[in-house]
Amino acid sequence: MLGVFRLIKITLKKEKNNKEHKSSDKMLKIKDLHASVEGKGILKGINLEVGAGEVHAIMGPNGSGKSTLASVIAGNETYEVTAGDIFLNGENIEDLSPEERAHNGVFLSFQYPVEIPGVSVTNFMKTAINESRKAKGLEDMPAKDMLKLIREKSELLEIDRKFLSRSLNEGFSGGEKKRNEIFQMAMLEPKLAILDETDSGLDIDALRIVANGVNKLKSKDNAVVVITHYQRLLEYIVPDFVHVLYNGKIVKSGTKELAMELEEKGYDWIKQEAAV
Amino acid sequence: MAYTEEELKKELETKEYEYGFYTDIESDTFPIGLSEDIVRAISKKKNEPKWMTDWRVEAYRVWEKMEEPEWANVHYQKPDFQAISYYSAPKKADPNKKLEDVDPELLEMYKKLGISIDEQKKLQNVAVDIVVDSVSVATTFKKTLAEKGIIFMPISEAIQEHPELVRKYMGTVVPTTDNFYAALNSAVFTDGSFCYIPKGVRCPMELSTYFRINQAGTGQFERTLVVADEESYVSYLEGCTAPSRDENQLHAAVVELIAMDDAEIKYSTVQNWFPGNKEGKGGVYNFVTKRALCEKNAKVSWTQVETGSAVTWKYPSCILKGDNSIGEFYSIAVTNNYQQADTGTKMIHLGKNTRSTIISKGISAGKSQNSYRGLVQVSSRADNARNFSQCDSLLMGNECGAHTFPYIEVKNKSAMIEHEATTSKIGEEQIFYCNQRGIDTEKAIALIVNGFSKEVLNKLPMEFAVEAQKLLEISLEGSVG
Amino acid sequence: MDLKDKLVSSFLAFENNVDVHNPVHDVRTEAIKNFETKGFPSKKLEAWKYTSLNGLQKIDFSIFPKKESSLEYKDVKKYFIHQIDTYKIVFIDGVFSSNLSETTHDGVDICLMSSALTKPMYKAVIDVYFNKVASKDESLTTLNTAFSREGAYIYIPKNKVPKKPIEIIHFSTGNDVALMLQPRNLIIAEENSEMQIIERHQSLTSNAVLTNSVTEIFAAKNAIVDYYKVQNDVDSASLVDNTYVDQKDGSHVKVHTFSFGGKLLRNNLNFYQNGERIDSTMKGITIIGDKQHVDHHTLVHHIEPNCESHQDYKGIYADSSTGVFNGKIIVDKIAQKTNAFQQNNNILISDKATINTKPQLEIFADDVKCSHGCTIGQLDEEALFYLQSRGIPKKEARALLMYAFANNVLESVRIPELKVRINKLIANKLGVNLGFDL
Repeated sequence: MLGVFRLIKITLKKEKNNKEHKSSDKMLKIKDLHASVEGKGILKGINLEVGAGEVHAIMGPNGSGKSTLASVIAGNETYEVTAGDIFLNGENIEDLSPEERAHNGVFLSFQYPVEIPGVSVTNFMKTAINESRKAKGLEDMPAKDMLKLIREKSELLEIDRKFLSRSLNEGFSGGEKKRNEIFQMAMLEPKLAILDETDSGLDIDALRIVANGVNKLKSKDNAVVVITHYQRLLEYIVPDFVHVLYNGKIVKSGTKELAMELEEKGYDWIKQEAAV
Repeated sequence: MAYTEEELKKELETKEYEYGFYTDIESDTFPIGLSEDIVRAISKKKNEPKWMTDWRVEAYRVWEKMEEPEWANVHYQKPDFQAISYYSAPKKADPNKKLEDVDPELLEMYKKLGISIDEQKKLQNVAVDIVVDSVSVATTFKKTLAEKGIIFMPISEAIQEHPELVRKYMGTVVPTTDNFYAALNSAVFTDGSFCYIPKGVRCPMELSTYFRINQAGTGQFERTLVVADEESYVSYLEGCTAPSRDENQLHAAVVELIAMDDAEIKYSTVQNWFPGNKEGKGGVYNFVTKRALCEKNAKVSWTQVETGSAVTWKYPSCILKGDNSIGEFYSIAVTNNYQQADTGTKMIHLGKNTRSTIISKGISAGKSQNSYRGLVQVSSRADNARNFSQCDSLLMGNECGAHTFPYIEVKNKSAMIEHEATTSKIGEEQIFYCNQRGIDTEKAIALIVNGFSKEVLNKLPMEFAVEAQKLLEISLEGSVG
Repeated sequence: MDLKDKLVSSFLAFENNVDVHNPVHDVRTEAIKNFETKGFPSKKLEAWKYTSLNGLQKIDFSIFPKKESSLEYKDVKKYFIHQIDTYKIVFIDGVFSSNLSETTHDGVDICLMSSALTKPMYKAVIDVYFNKVASKDESLTTLNTAFSREGAYIYIPKNKVPKKPIEIIHFSTGNDVALMLQPRNLIIAEENSEMQIIERHQSLTSNAVLTNSVTEIFAAKNAIVDYYKVQNDVDSASLVDNTYVDQKDGSHVKVHTFSFGGKLLRNNLNFYQNGERIDSTMKGITIIGDKQHVDHHTLVHHIEPNCESHQDYKGIYADSSTGVFNGKIIVDKIAQKTNAFQQNNNILISDKATINTKPQLEIFADDVKCSHGCTIGQLDEEALFYLQSRGIPKKEARALLMYAFANNVLESVRIPELKVRINKLIANKLGVNLGFDL
């Protein structure tokens, strides 16, 4: 009796997997995305596809809309989506709240992580993980497992345990804030991680630790989108694809060589090309 | 769509009072109204000695000539003192009986309050004295405490059993003439707790009293007296609830603490009287006088989490009389809907090298008004007095108010006084950051409020801290609980 | 007869000397009624909890000076910031002194309140501004309004900046055994105008003087007003100063109050922010001793969004002196994005000195940054030792530390010669001679 039941369960699961795979072969699919803030258009028709196991870099001059794109994918309501769609594993996420997107595996490493006085890093993570579990119909993670996970991931990011009892981002140095973001990413194990200017404010050692963390978290099942102004971070997190965002549009896509070219020549030639 | 602040506000408003149930216990209630005869009748009913009756009558005569104070930043319909019944005892209560004999409905009520006596006994090592309406119903753990020489019993019993102690200390910290409500309380108090810790004894468990107003149209006037003899230590917890009623109920308590040389008293309160409904109807008027006297090297800490009552008027204070004595005040006051709270502390530095700390966290939501009012006074003899005060306010929404009225009076050049106050709100970017990590807005607010209140929550005994956190969520978030 | 009755009955005599048909007189009549009902404030009033006027009310003050006096400039030169050229509006025993004054009508009006209140050419301005921001309820303000007749009148039109700072000085000569003065100033800065004012009350004898002054300041859009109050009077003189400031969009008004001398000083500074992007600054240094009493009462009412206010008061109290600071910040419901800061630091250097401070916040808007800080302490003993170990004598070292304590209040003084003067006054007050200026 038990055996039969098990068999059925396995079959069902397989079918479900097949179906998901069929509906969309891409983890993230952005179609003709337009977004504005206070009536001012910032994204003007973004098309982007990111598959599982891939690393994409989005580069571009200041004000081109890189951070806006990250915020819009994460569901920040400061920005209004005026046209276009975002699909996550084939599902249109337009109506999902930021926390629902997070529950579905979207993680945004903030360019400017927010301070929450009095709430320790540990308590914050505990809440975040258990809320995600609750959304999936799971019980709270047992304290023992939680501690083990925290120990494991803090070692990965070379984070001092004392650091975990400090108030979230309050009084953190720039480097500590960014490292804490990647620590949270490690804890939450997202499907799609968007790193918004994670390299800004990092010295070379911190950069290496952060990049190392990201590389270790990379797998064939998840994807990483690295948003950066400079090529520096891409020496450590090697992208499969590089896109150049300018004036709210992706004006050029290529491989990691494009990043090197940008480093060498700057963004002016892109601007000229775009103007033509 | 994500949860907007607007939706949250709506939910806050529709949130019903968690503890709004009414236990049907037969009560023995006095007719309404107050006169010298009623005062004498209360005393007679409780079979009190003459000195106690005289004390009450004297207080009544003083009260008659006093006027209700108006300086607090609260506005309310003055209670009609002739429309209140001053005595209401659950009929079947008998302080001498065993726990098993307690009215099953009462036991049921304790369960709803989350204070199953058995459970407390076994798990939490807390001795509980429960005051429903005006009469103390059951004291657990009496024997265990008696072995150490600790007296913990209803004050009505203490008047009978330890008249010398009660007579010696009652009214010495809060004189009957102190203020309008203290005088009223002195005249009509029906019960409360008495606690005496002998010299050199460290009370092995938390002592706890739960107060509850049950009967309609009654006032509750409990009186608490804690005496910690030299080198003793006690941690005392006080919890308060009342069922939801449309009319305003009056609660005017007096708490006196005496910490003798080298003694320490920790007094924690979680106050959750019915705050009134979302239209501001009903609720408890909470007019309380709490004061501690610290002798040499003594220490008193007041910790309070105030989430209930329609109107709160309360200033737990420390008279730092002895050299090197320490006073502390840690407070969280949450107001929502139409609640009004005017609360704070007085630290009176009289002795040398006295120190005081004040941490006050006010959280206002809805249409509520939340005021901190405090006094730090350093007398000319109080050399090297130190005070640090911090008053932080968190505002939620744009219809509430946060006020701080700190008075600082210093007459000694060696004093060091620091006072800081800030006002802030919950930032949208904080909410989004939490959302992005999978935490919904309601939970995010709870998290942020908890963080804001952390310094005070940390001061509460463990089991109380959990309850307090829960209360914060209930008062502000609605569905959590 | 007590002082209140004397004042009320003097109003009849006062009426004989003013034009009772002028609409201004209706304002005065209303005001005297209010004062008659309220009388002098008592300690029972929350705002007067720490300051008593009982002693002053026992003195038999003359309400009007018995005779006119004159002074020679050389005798009083030291009370002016004589190192620089200034406009001067000078009064002797409450009466305008034309030989000591330098007024002007050259594009701006820097002249007399008595002219403004009586001459038709000023009527339009008086109708719009006179008694419009001053309280019609506070008893001492209404007492001043009732007797308002003389004071400084300054009107700076749109886009104008007077060529030099303006000094307003009130001398009292001691012709009367005890004299009460009630100057009334009206200061109007139109759009984009700018001005600097230095105000001083100076008694030249040891006879008692009580000054109950009211100043109304109107700062229109983007106007800048710097107002410096130098309070270094003799110990028989008392001052109640009521200053009311009405600010419009983008205006900046700074009031500095330097309180060193006088018997009893009460400063009521009230700012009303009726516009956006307003900046209001109140700063003060108080250094007193003996039995002096200085009470700073400030109010900033944030009425509109996006405004700032800054308050910074330092006090040093010696002997049996008493200091009071009561700062109140009110932020209205619509005044979002308000930044309001208040700081009050005090040093007690005597066992008999007292400081009472009450920094209040009343906040009704949620998106604001408001903070107040208050400290009471002593000079840093370690710093004192450090300076002594470098060869600076203890007295000078203490003075130096006190300078340092008060210094950031002086930083915002924009008239260098005034800064030098204040430095000298501080050195004098501390009984030292420091060979430098801060």
